[in-house]
Amino acid sequence: MRVRASLVRWWIAAPLAVIASMSLASCGSSGSGHGTGGEVLHVGTTYPIDSMNPFVAQSDYSYAVYEYVYPQLVQYNSKLQIVPDFARRWSVSPDGRTWTFHTVQNAKWSDGKPLTAADVAWTINEVMKYKNGPAGQWAGLLAHMIGASAPNPTTLIIKYSTAVANVLAQMQSMSVLPKQVWAPFFTGNGAKLKTFPNVPPTTGQPMVSGGPFELVKYKANQYALFKRNPNWWGPKPKIEGFGLQFYSSADAMVQALKNGQVDFIGEYTPPTAVAALRKSGFMVTTTPSISMKTFIINTNPHKTTHKELLNPVVREAIEYATDRQQIIKTAWLGLAQSGSTIIAPADGSWHDANIKPLPFNLAKANQLLNSAGYKMGPNGIRIADGHPMSYNVIFPPDERGTGDRTFQIMQTDLRKIGISITQQNMDDSATFNAISHAKYRTFDMAMWDWVPPVDPDFMLSVLTCAQLGNNSDSGYCNPAYDRMYAKQSTLIDTATRQKLIWQMQQYIYNAKPYIILDYPDIIEAHSTKWTGFAVAPVMGSVNSLSMQTLLNVHKI
Amino acid sequence: MRGADYVIRRIGFALLTIFIAITINFFLFRVLPGNVVSDLARVPHATPQLRHALTVEFGLDKPKWQQYLIYLRELVRGNMGISFATQQPVSRLLINDLKNTIPMVTIGTLGAIVVGIATGILSAWRRGSASDHVSTNLAIAFYAFPTQFLGLMLLILLGGLLPTSGMENPYAGVFGTQTTIARLQDIGLHLILPALTLLLTLYGEFTLIMRSSMLETLGEDYVLTARAKGLSDRRVVARHVVRNALLPIATLVALSIGWIVGGAILVEYIFSWPGIGQALWQAINQRDYPMLQGGFLVLAVSVVVLNLLADLAYFKLDPRISQ
Repeated sequence: MRVRASLVRWWIAAPLAVIASMSLASCGSSGSGHGTGGEVLHVGTTYPIDSMNPFVAQSDYSYAVYEYVYPQLVQYNSKLQIVPDFARRWSVSPDGRTWTFHTVQNAKWSDGKPLTAADVAWTINEVMKYKNGPAGQWAGLLAHMIGASAPNPTTLIIKYSTAVANVLAQMQSMSVLPKQVWAPFFTGNGAKLKTFPNVPPTTGQPMVSGGPFELVKYKANQYALFKRNPNWWGPKPKIEGFGLQFYSSADAMVQALKNGQVDFIGEYTPPTAVAALRKSGFMVTTTPSISMKTFIINTNPHKTTHKELLNPVVREAIEYATDRQQIIKTAWLGLAQSGSTIIAPADGSWHDANIKPLPFNLAKANQLLNSAGYKMGPNGIRIADGHPMSYNVIFPPDERGTGDRTFQIMQTDLRKIGISITQQNMDDSATFNAISHAKYRTFDMAMWDWVPPVDPDFMLSVLTCAQLGNNSDSGYCNPAYDRMYAKQSTLIDTATRQKLIWQMQQYIYNAKPYIILDYPDIIEAHSTKWTGFAVAPVMGSVNSLSMQTLLNVHKI
Repeated sequence: MRGADYVIRRIGFALLTIFIAITINFFLFRVLPGNVVSDLARVPHATPQLRHALTVEFGLDKPKWQQYLIYLRELVRGNMGISFATQQPVSRLLINDLKNTIPMVTIGTLGAIVVGIATGILSAWRRGSASDHVSTNLAIAFYAFPTQFLGLMLLILLGGLLPTSGMENPYAGVFGTQTTIARLQDIGLHLILPALTLLLTLYGEFTLIMRSSMLETLGEDYVLTARAKGLSDRRVVARHVVRNALLPIATLVALSIGWIVGGAILVEYIFSWPGIGQALWQAINQRDYPMLQGGFLVLAVSVVVLNLLADLAYFKLDPRISQ
């Protein structure tokens, strides 16, 4: 028996010893900046790069990568103001149709080739040729554009058919592509534009870059590694490089931070992890974002079923029965801001702070429904046009977790005013299909979200008739609103545009195709050994708006 | 000749099954609500032209029967198509995913088979003993644990000792030097937690079936005869019981190995293992039809082929089948 017991101990001890020694050996060959003396930031995220090809990619982190490896004419600062980047200054003609940008002198791509205004003009003109085909994903950036030219290496002229209000915001989103790499794909029908993987070549050379970093290694759905671009024309980053590691599960990502396998976790850090991370000594940052959670009520004028939802009084009663404070406290653990309009407060002066959401008031909600003639049925559900006021709420996976708890709160409160709602779970693709089915005539309600760009044009566009079947998730269509949208998109003067955008927000708030529930905070955490993170209201510190974080971040 | 008939019949049946699977794969995903264009066109700056361009590009403007015929034609030519989501060839994506999945799932599954058979034999051999009770209850418990719960517990408990995500430490070779041995060690360490999760999830089934089969066989007359002849307990079990008790396990092993190719979606999800399970999960969410068709084709073929091999092995192992 003694022999057997020792054998058992050996069987247990031996593998653990092997694992421990292998771990030590492995640790010896990893870690931040090992072997080079430089600092390497390890970033964890649950949102993988879906493609490195800018005509295919949709992921936030794909666009964050383009921010760091490709030049943009301008970028945002921490106050969400447009500031110079590859373009050092610019001017616009009095009619708003001609924009002139003056770009950096003596800039180079990472392969040593000159980077000039001609590269920008080439990118714009080539994309325009294919904007109704393989480059369709960029078409919105080139709206009303006639073409671009570069009379000299540091001057770029872009001409538009009409004045366009958000040219600078569009240019912030548009990457300048290296002609020496991309020219072979802008040929024929452009089919190769989308099949080019745009990853570091197998020769071990990094991808050609015009930003502060160059992509040196990429494995789909696993990681992307970046080193400083030696030919970068701007301020030298303090780190030698950084890596993005992709996690399928937020729990695993949080655990990796705790174990020291990553230094920083960005977007999609779960609110439930905040207390534990703080307790473990990590720096947790939360900041209001410009994204929003919406409770959608079908306001399509051609709706054929449950037409009582077209009655503004019903939508007003539903808002009175929405307890935003309880939702923020219970579902978000306090890590969200109360919702009001379709432009979030974090979007600065574009948000109309005068619009206040209706207070939670069940008595008022009941009073509104009573006065509108919706009598209470025998089972506590009101009757409208002979049918009970019971509705399905389409619910995509994006909303799971916090959205589930939000739904439960709303369901309980709405029941108290005689309205029954049922959660109808489906995936993203099926969600849009269910909402837009029969030209938006049949769905009743949905819960979803928006993570819009900084410039309000996109968020405002979502509610236009032109977006029915495209980006519209409410069925809302109103020609008066469309006219306001068209006008704001041509207003070059910021103050005038802001005034109209505030009117549009009020218009939509009154119409209530959305009840904006809340604006979730950006939550991220990092090791206290690092500093220099600049949190933005979109994506957090490592984002597609500016290069501030990865130019400044460094070890303490 | 009877044997040849049996083999030909099984092969014919396998081919028919694969064809039906191909057809179902094609239509099943297309009858799901939603489509890939809705998904890919829901981006900032998208225009109605983009939706139209994507529809034409993916051939979704053609009638379904025409899409089906094109799919069959290309499949015969060995072309699985281009992924809608990534615009890369499906065959290349699947090969990459399989290269990641197969080592991890193979180690986990084979480990489960070995551990399950061994513990099943020991339990049956020492039935009624404390070790039997412990082994059986553990097997039932692990069999009952949801995979994600078990994986998460291992991740939390062993996370400080072992890597918890991905297949390798990506930084080692780029921002420093890494020998081949160090790299292999690194990959080995990354394999442990997902393979262990799979092993623990699967082994209980083998234990319980092996134990049950062993107990049934231990009650057979020929076992009594062997004991009456004076053979040792160990010899009786090894020579006469285990061999016969292994028959039901053969089917389970074949099915399990067939599923190796399908990956283990939950295990891959928890440990961020970039395998085929995750790829198919993403493809379903994105309605990436070529990727789904290719992935499920590989899955169907592997299950059918492994089942065929199990049938043929049965034919060899159990002469009663040929009679």
